[in-house]
Amino acid sequence: MKLVLGLAIGMAFGAILQLGGASSYKKIMGSLLLKDMDIIKLILMAIAVGTVGIYALDLADMANMSIKPTYVVGIVIAGLIFGVGFAVAGYCPGTCIVAAGEGKTDAIVTILGGLAGAALYALAYPMLAGLIEVTNYGEVTLPSAFGINGLWIAIPFSAILFLLMFKVLKDRYE
Amino acid sequence: MHDEPVLSWKVAGLLLGLLLIVATALVKPLGVSTQYVVTEAVALHKVAPAVAESNEYLNKYGEKGDWGVGYGWMLVLGMFVGGSLSALITRRFRSRANPSLPSMWQTEFGSSSPRRMMHAFTGGVLLLFGARLAGGCTSGHMISGISQLTIGSFIFGISIFASGIITARILYKRRLAS
Repeated sequence: MKLVLGLAIGMAFGAILQLGGASSYKKIMGSLLLKDMDIIKLILMAIAVGTVGIYALDLADMANMSIKPTYVVGIVIAGLIFGVGFAVAGYCPGTCIVAAGEGKTDAIVTILGGLAGAALYALAYPMLAGLIEVTNYGEVTLPSAFGINGLWIAIPFSAILFLLMFKVLKDRYE
Repeated sequence: MHDEPVLSWKVAGLLLGLLLIVATALVKPLGVSTQYVVTEAVALHKVAPAVAESNEYLNKYGEKGDWGVGYGWMLVLGMFVGGSLSALITRRFRSRANPSLPSMWQTEFGSSSPRRMMHAFTGGVLLLFGARLAGGCTSGHMISGISQLTIGSFIFGISIFASGIITARILYKRRLAS
């Protein structure tokens, strides 16, 4: 049953990314070149809706959250490496799956590169474990750090994102 | 040739946010990059179980004696299927003149498919190395993580865009200059 549910949620995820242009090289590079802000705004919209929804669910104790640990140094290094890959490939680990489904052969090659990168990480893991231990603050979120209910942060944060989407980014780049 | 998206960023972003809420209510938030490791762990446990078990990182994925695919892997398979179907239905499947070359890339770097493949492969290596070090990618760490207001996910999101924007400017310096 879980497997069928996974397939169904994945199909919706893939279709939304494809229909929204998130699996398009041109749209992704347009965002990274700060020319075409659609994909950045798509991500901000998903977060603005998601954050309020997740913390509303949490209020009813219905959110199956999965909080990743915050190890500052390791995450910054990881993000810098990821960002280079993002711009060089023009896809991310999820959008290359969708783009491959659309018949884009370069995206299939990005998946193969991804498998190689993941294998490389598995081999290098014993040497990199220190990066995960240093400056590790554990599974910390803004609500847990401030010790308040998540909605008190989620709602104003979502409002800021709406402001970014409809005022700031639009006026400057479109 | 169709290359403009069918949905606006507003509608697609709203749907993605709603899907994230549904997924979090039913199972857990969305995520992709772990499945690259799961794929390798599953394959390696079939082909060379001794090698797989000797690797500290691969051993963290799945239970001993149960190296099948699970919910997360089916989700990624679903992304492939869902992307294919929506592209076929909206007549955007294989809409490029050359399936390996994005036209924007071609304008900057020429029409060499092997060169594009080099970029696509190298990019993929860096993406997954970075995603595994961070513990997630654009969906799991950035979209799902920031939605849960995870502090590390804000840091990851800022880092990938800072580095991605700088790299894109270096790659497309000719286009930006003109």
